[in-house]
Amino acid sequence: MRFVAAALSVAALAAALPAAADPESDPLAWLQRAATSARETTYAGTVMHMQGERTVTSRITHVFLAGSEQERIESLDGPRREIVRRDDQLQCYFPDAKTIRFDRRVTARFFPSLVTGPLETIRENYRLALGKVERVLGQDCQWIHLDPKDALRYAQRLCAEVGSGLLLRAKTLGPRQQVLELYAFTNLRTGREVSRGEVKSTFLPQSRGWRRDVQPIEEPKSGSAGWSVASPPSGFRLVGEMQRLLPNRPHPVTQLVLSDGIATMSVFVEPASGPPQTSEATSADGALSVFLRPMGEHVVTVLGEVPPAAAQQVGRGVGRQVDAVIAPAK
Amino acid sequence: MTQEISLLMDGELQAGEAGRAIKACCGDEELKRTWQAYHLVGEALRGEAHRPDASTRRIMDAIAREPTVLAPRWRMPARAGRVAFAAAASVATVAVVGWIGMQDRDAPAGAVIAKSAPTAAPVLASRVVPLHNVNEYVVVHRQLPNADFYQPVANQAAAGR
Repeated sequence: MRFVAAALSVAALAAALPAAADPESDPLAWLQRAATSARETTYAGTVMHMQGERTVTSRITHVFLAGSEQERIESLDGPRREIVRRDDQLQCYFPDAKTIRFDRRVTARFFPSLVTGPLETIRENYRLALGKVERVLGQDCQWIHLDPKDALRYAQRLCAEVGSGLLLRAKTLGPRQQVLELYAFTNLRTGREVSRGEVKSTFLPQSRGWRRDVQPIEEPKSGSAGWSVASPPSGFRLVGEMQRLLPNRPHPVTQLVLSDGIATMSVFVEPASGPPQTSEATSADGALSVFLRPMGEHVVTVLGEVPPAAAQQVGRGVGRQVDAVIAPAK
Repeated sequence: MTQEISLLMDGELQAGEAGRAIKACCGDEELKRTWQAYHLVGEALRGEAHRPDASTRRIMDAIAREPTVLAPRWRMPARAGRVAFAAAASVATVAVVGWIGMQDRDAPAGAVIAKSAPTAAPVLASRVVPLHNVNEYVVVHRQLPNADFYQPVANQAAAGR
């Protein structure tokens, strides 16, 4: 599996941070604090996530121990399910299906960890500014504004607790400033109020005989199954490339992941099946855009928290790796 | 506690539990806000009018400057008329329920995908076609735990696996 570790490593962000005159008034420094705080502090709370027409509530518990992140995310709505994360290793428990899914964090936006990429890339593609300080959950909270420099990404509004830098709220805004996606803590405990035991899966004892689904599967053989994206939108770099087995699909699906440090796109390439499709299709739901493109014997599907135009640009640039314009960095 | 509030809205708590939840809900500012937010979201999902009192306005301000993002074209699930938040949210986690033609507000409602000419930029919807097989990609992309990804064990047994 090919990964650009730096792209998801918050620790690497520090190097990219230029010397700022006054960290209090530098939005980039606030983004750095938000990223570091999401990773290196201890917190637990209920998160409300609204995306398009849907709202899901979950409970998140995060501790930082011996240089390693440990996190548990538990759904509070619908069927019981749970993610236990140690750095970028995920274990997802589905008690009703008696299944554990092992996965690697690539595209997931696990609030409050939303700033994942190099700050330089973010600064090159977003206009950064500080908004007002607002009272949120009884704390002073600094709004950080990220407005895109082109029409190929959405604006972000992040609210960082003044003391710790931890994000308490985050909004993705559409071109008419409408809220497309929202994350909000509705309650929060930090530091010693959270015990280490809380990050252990509640299903661990009973999960011994459960089915195991390990994803992604093997790395695609270089050059044979490899696909690439020619001329993606500015700042979007390839941060992952893998193959996955999906339910109801006989063949492995190739997934490429692109990120601009805030927004991510997944590109899926699979052999075409069923009646041949001839036309492209585009859709959007909340901040998520989907673009489908038939490509000879394959079908390309692009998904991401980007405007439809960005998904289209990426989808139309997909080709065999020999045509690679962007290669995985490093 | 928020789960209990959610269940309370659903009318799924026993008398004792409900009493405890109501007591907790009304005694704690944060839980009270959660309760209000849940109701608000429930109303928005059902397409009901928002009550423009001060607290609602405050929450809506916090949630969205354009509440129609939440409101339109929600398809009433089976338990029509009493779609409480938890129920709505469990429907919601199926990943893709109703597609909004974001760029084309006049597109027909329901499970649709806007078809675009290859040269059109960004999205000029001409007509809509059903979208299928993308749900699984949404789940993979978001890396969210989605129970619908896996058949419950009972179903597998029924299917003779």
